Amino acid sequence: MDIVVSVKTNLDLQMIRIKNREPVLEAIPYKTGDLDKNAVEAALQLRDAVGDSKVIALTVAESNRKVRETIKEVLAMGADEAVLIVDPALESTDQAGVARTLAAALQKIGSYDLVLFGEGSSDDYSGQVGPRVAELLGVPQIGYARKITAGGAGVLVERSMDEFIETLEAPLPAVLTVVSEINEPRIPSLMNIMKAGKKPTEEWSLADLGLDPAAVASSCETLSNLAEEQDRKHVMLEGGAVDQAAGLVNALLKEGILGR
Amino acid sequence: MEKVDCIIVGGGLAGLSAAYGLASEGLEVMVVERGDYSGAKNVTGGRLYLSPIRDIYPELWESAPFERPVTRELVTLMGDGASTTLELASDCFATAPYQSYTVLRARLDQWLADQVMEKGGMVITKNRVDEILVEGSKVIGIRAGADDIGADVTIIAEGVLGLLSSKVGLREEPLARDHALGYKEILELPSSVIQDRWHLNEGEGAAHLFMGEVTKGMMGGGFLYTNKDSISLGIVVGMSAMRERKEKIESHTLLDAFKELPQIRPLVEGGTLVEYSAHAIPEGGIAKVPKLFGDGYLMVGDAAGLALNALLTVRGMDFAIASGFYAARAVADAKSRGDCSAAGLAQYEQSLRSSFVLKDLETAKDIPHIMENPRLFTHYPQAVSGLLEKLYTIGPHPSQKLSSTVIGGVRKDFMNARTLKELYAMRKI
Amino acid sequence: MNIEAKLGLDVFKIDKERHITIDVEVCNRVCTDKACLYVCPAHLYEIDDQGNNTVNFEGCLECGTCLISCDHRALEWHYPRGEYGVQYRMG
Repeated sequence: MDIVVSVKTNLDLQMIRIKNREPVLEAIPYKTGDLDKNAVEAALQLRDAVGDSKVIALTVAESNRKVRETIKEVLAMGADEAVLIVDPALESTDQAGVARTLAAALQKIGSYDLVLFGEGSSDDYSGQVGPRVAELLGVPQIGYARKITAGGAGVLVERSMDEFIETLEAPLPAVLTVVSEINEPRIPSLMNIMKAGKKPTEEWSLADLGLDPAAVASSCETLSNLAEEQDRKHVMLEGGAVDQAAGLVNALLKEGILGR
Repeated sequence: MEKVDCIIVGGGLAGLSAAYGLASEGLEVMVVERGDYSGAKNVTGGRLYLSPIRDIYPELWESAPFERPVTRELVTLMGDGASTTLELASDCFATAPYQSYTVLRARLDQWLADQVMEKGGMVITKNRVDEILVEGSKVIGIRAGADDIGADVTIIAEGVLGLLSSKVGLREEPLARDHALGYKEILELPSSVIQDRWHLNEGEGAAHLFMGEVTKGMMGGGFLYTNKDSISLGIVVGMSAMRERKEKIESHTLLDAFKELPQIRPLVEGGTLVEYSAHAIPEGGIAKVPKLFGDGYLMVGDAAGLALNALLTVRGMDFAIASGFYAARAVADAKSRGDCSAAGLAQYEQSLRSSFVLKDLETAKDIPHIMENPRLFTHYPQAVSGLLEKLYTIGPHPSQKLSSTVIGGVRKDFMNARTLKELYAMRKI
Repeated sequence: MNIEAKLGLDVFKIDKERHITIDVEVCNRVCTDKACLYVCPAHLYEIDDQGNNTVNFEGCLECGTCLISCDHRALEWHYPRGEYGVQYRMG
């Protein structure tokens, strides 16, 4: 079974600070998407369960430097090879552009039985790219996957809905997007990180995929990106812990936050 | 146990400098760094002396993310209610090649890690080394989480606390009397404001040290370094000095008081505080430098106590980079001869001895002892400012002759047995 | 700006596991000075209502001053695991 896992590199959101209401994005370290690691783990487990399979990590970015650590990480986790789509034009793309790029890359890769995504990214969490890719490729897609079993002519997938679990079967190839409860991603060993650099890695540009930069241009324009300004109430509660707790409950009741 | 040529414990300047040298020689090198990135756990007061290390890796520095070359040197002796500032603006510091630069570690260390990786070295971040593995007298590798990894040579660049190396007896545990606490605020200010406030040409920087009242008489001092668009303002205070002071002071309040001083307030006015950081500093001098090498290992940087506080100049990063460089050379040599025993690595200490690293530490061997004298931080700053205060004073009564004032002041504050003895002891500095 | 607000400017990735543990018994029985209370530049040590020394390890700047200053070895102190603890943006 050929399994492709799409992984995204985000800015490490915890490192961003706000200056004059705007986020300072300069020199922020990158981080592999949290759910993307669940997707990689799911792919590795499937590969090992099915046998005679391989896992290809696929990523899209405007620069090689941005995704370098992510690729190293997923290869160190155990992915067999990596395909990077790197093109400066991807700097200002959007979910539709990324999906177009990934779909074109999958077509160029040619053989894939399963394409795995995290349910959403760690930054925008729009959850669009997986379903869009499935649509572009014309293959079935199942979201909120919490358990994946290969069998028969396809896969059996448990979906985590809020109040119930739905089990669906899909023929291959298929696109699946996973949630965090599916597994606990493994932490790569130092030796595996060391060896990750030696695994086969391909790098393609948009031109290699036959895509025009215009095809990935964002259809949205960011007009402003401002942190919300919030007025503090500056209420100081006096007295011992018991009095303060009572005061806090009263204050929250008064604000209508409790007892609604 | 899987094995690599060389493991480096810690991706700070010493470790990365060693890694850069080894990777350039084509050796397989693995740097293990616990921070999210190199520099994430590191703090500097602010200044790297480039002069001593410019010829080490000469190709590197052109692209280094330095903040500003230091072209103005200031020192303030702070008494209680009066202070004296000396300012040196010297052509030799104001022209390239510059002697020293202000730096920020998160930027500098990440940049150096990038250079290591470009040479093919591996810098693994977000991983903590848990143990140095020893077999008999030989260091054989490291343990990190569930991984045991062997190496022909392990370079210990774990930093000032030396937690791992002291645990396996490669050095002593850190003692309060040999260490200072350094902590600082980074305050953002527009570059133009920095240049105006410190009378700097565009791109140039200032370094300003403070002695005396700033540490309430405790061994140590204050510092202020100008970065590109921020300033680093902080305090270094001896750990023993904090313990020995009768009235204890919560360390963090010293910095607040420093900022509130009338000489400092206008300098930091309007600055936006963006980071608060702290780090321990080795100040034991050469007497506290541990054994620098043994079977299968070398010690570099702060982990080896290679730092020097000589009052007006405070150094460590240049020693770290140089020790990493010599460590790399020794390891590459030892590897090529197939002898990574203590004898095979002995060249490391020899080259440190014939370089500025151990020579400068040797020259300064009496400084730690002299700095233990609290009067250096109380009596002297006060005496100097007190004398100048008299010289500048025009009171209601007829003035004394200038020479009488000077002689009187010198007699009172300097020509007594105790002070003369102390001044005599200072000849060793 | 008070010390808590200053620490609020830094990035801390907080582990579930604490990396500093006080041996309260030793601390109460032997230590009269309690240097950690005043040497810590982040002011993390506090005596609680029961008179026991406590540490808010979450705001630790990882300088080790408390460890070095503790004469009675009442602190079990190690660096936080990889991916945790303070991450200086500037340093």
